[in-house]
Amino acid sequence: MDQIFHNLVIGFGVAVTPINLFFALIGCLLGTLIGVLPGIGPVATIAMLLPITFNLSPVGALIMLAGIYYGAQYGGSTTAILVNIPGESSSVVTCLDGYQMARQGRAGPALATAAIGSFFAGCVATIIIAVAAPPLAEVALKFGPAEYFSLMCFGLIAATVLAHGSLIKAIAMVIWGLLFGLVGTDVNSGVLRFTFGIPELSDGIGFVIVAMGMFGTAEIVANLEMKEHREIFTSKVKNLWPTKQDFKDAWGAVLRGTALGSALGILPGGGALLASFGAYSLEKKVSKHPEKFGKGAIEGVAAPESANNAGAQTSFIPMLTLGIPSNAVMALMIGALMIQGIAPGPQVMNEKPELFWGLIASMWVGNLMLVILNLPLIGMWVKLLTVPYRYLFPSILVFMAIGVYSLSNNAFDVLIMGVFGVVGYICAKLECEPAPMILGFILGPLMEENLRRAMLLSRGDPTVFFTKPISAGFMIGSFILLLIVALPAIRKKREEVFVEEG
Amino acid sequence: MKIRSQKDFWSGLMFIGSGLFFALWAMEFYQMGTAVRMGPAYFPTVLGFLLVALGAIVLLQSVTAEPEGDQAVHTPFNIIDLLIAFGIYAVLIFLSVKSGFASEWAILSATIVVSLLTMWFRPDAKPLVLITAATIFYGYLMKPLGLVIATAALVFISALGGHEFKWKEVSILFIILILFSVLVFVKGLTLPFPIWPEYFS
Repeated sequence: MDQIFHNLVIGFGVAVTPINLFFALIGCLLGTLIGVLPGIGPVATIAMLLPITFNLSPVGALIMLAGIYYGAQYGGSTTAILVNIPGESSSVVTCLDGYQMARQGRAGPALATAAIGSFFAGCVATIIIAVAAPPLAEVALKFGPAEYFSLMCFGLIAATVLAHGSLIKAIAMVIWGLLFGLVGTDVNSGVLRFTFGIPELSDGIGFVIVAMGMFGTAEIVANLEMKEHREIFTSKVKNLWPTKQDFKDAWGAVLRGTALGSALGILPGGGALLASFGAYSLEKKVSKHPEKFGKGAIEGVAAPESANNAGAQTSFIPMLTLGIPSNAVMALMIGALMIQGIAPGPQVMNEKPELFWGLIASMWVGNLMLVILNLPLIGMWVKLLTVPYRYLFPSILVFMAIGVYSLSNNAFDVLIMGVFGVVGYICAKLECEPAPMILGFILGPLMEENLRRAMLLSRGDPTVFFTKPISAGFMIGSFILLLIVALPAIRKKREEVFVEEG
Repeated sequence: MKIRSQKDFWSGLMFIGSGLFFALWAMEFYQMGTAVRMGPAYFPTVLGFLLVALGAIVLLQSVTAEPEGDQAVHTPFNIIDLLIAFGIYAVLIFLSVKSGFASEWAILSATIVVSLLTMWFRPDAKPLVLITAATIFYGYLMKPLGLVIATAALVFISALGGHEFKWKEVSILFIILILFSVLVFVKGLTLPFPIWPEYFS
């Protein structure tokens, strides 16, 4: 306990220096901005800023980028509640009840609940990281390739089980992603795989490019195909403060959302998106009045919004302690560390305590800034929503194109983004989720590398994954998850939860 | 046999097709190795066949499972249109590179031809085609013609893909975006983009 306190003191010492406060503020502002604006997410934004962070200090860079990620969770809820469009993919479920509350003239309490829930979740998640990360890093130092491989299997399966839609399609998308991730030079043999003689492919396809295509351009096309109609409840944002009854209804949901979100965030494959979906379905299950959901239940706002913020923050744990990216944003964070010449992994905590604890302390500071940015200044963000989409989408495209082009000053990257835009569009039409694919894409090379090493160490004996205790634990966990979903009764329940009412 | 879910049917075929492609390509061209020392073909082959198996299940479900909700695929084109478009695109690029054009110009002209063809025959695909074409133009115009012209191409072409297009509005938007791009990205963040065509500077 003393140790944690001591560490947090170091952390706050780093986080409250004026320059780092400035970076946290920039990150939170940008995060809220892109969270409010539909069609541009933290992945694209962080990718665009990645080349710039080279000129910053490592702590400053990470503080700013982290602020963008959790800031986007705050901003995303504003759009979801007022416009019924998720400003961020993790706010999809907030639309269901948040928008209904706005239609009933209770936009203010909905926004306040989302912000307060997020702040509470952010505080708890900060403490969880501070408490859980050091022992996990200890354990991680003992991880061999077999453990890493099993952990990644577990994470991928957990991500598909909890994602909505068909389980088999989600697993197929993961494998698709793993395969695309293998394009490029094979590190073990130096052989060029699936490059078809195109020199630009020899370094592999950057996942930023794939993510921007699958999420960015595909999303814009989908929006353009729909007729533009938005009903914005800007004039109705009055009496922000929730009533006593609201507090009574929401506090349990906030607690459960925070707990579930923190747990799901730690899983590789987890993060804000998974957390919000999970929390909403849990809330619907435990509620005494499940019929209220989708009709403006405050729990339906409180739980997912607390969960996505908790998940966004705890997803830093596998990145900081294991060096495994659990989602696209964390993969970019690893990129940011690499730019600074820091190899991510369990050693970072001991070698660079000021970086590690500074980042954690900055999360709490950032959450405080976000409450201030989001509640009193809500009017400013709402104004942004009145900007019509026909001005927004060319602007988003310009920033995406600059971001992708500046990765290696190569037009071919932009072409690949276009191709994956078409792929993403078709996947959306076929109800194949792009998120599991991106995750597979990120983990593909890592998984192959660890599989090869594990098999080499075990002399080709595949039972190694089941005889080492930690590895066996992950493998058994994966099977149990698969089994649970395969059982008809539970499968039906899971489908019920995800069939939306509105 | 009746296809009950178009969505599952086509995703099943998509998975089977790409799984077979990856597995067979890997087996044909790369070393398989052994379980102890895996060659470059090992992992993609295993994954490829796993994907084929999953695709087969999805395909099977599309004819057996009771469909829920809307299972039709709402795209403004069908699979044959898509294959024709990609085919023409690849052949055009290949032919113009063969006949001595630089690859940038080959890709740009192929993009123009395929976009026009698609919009002529499948007008509903306009958003998809114009957004994709606009980004490709941006990428390939940047080096020869500079940031200003590339951004103009991106903004005007993509705006054409929207619901309404007003010259005045889009021009103002373009001016704001190009000023922002130049000031923030080129001057502020010193990204090495040429602003004007090489010819002038």
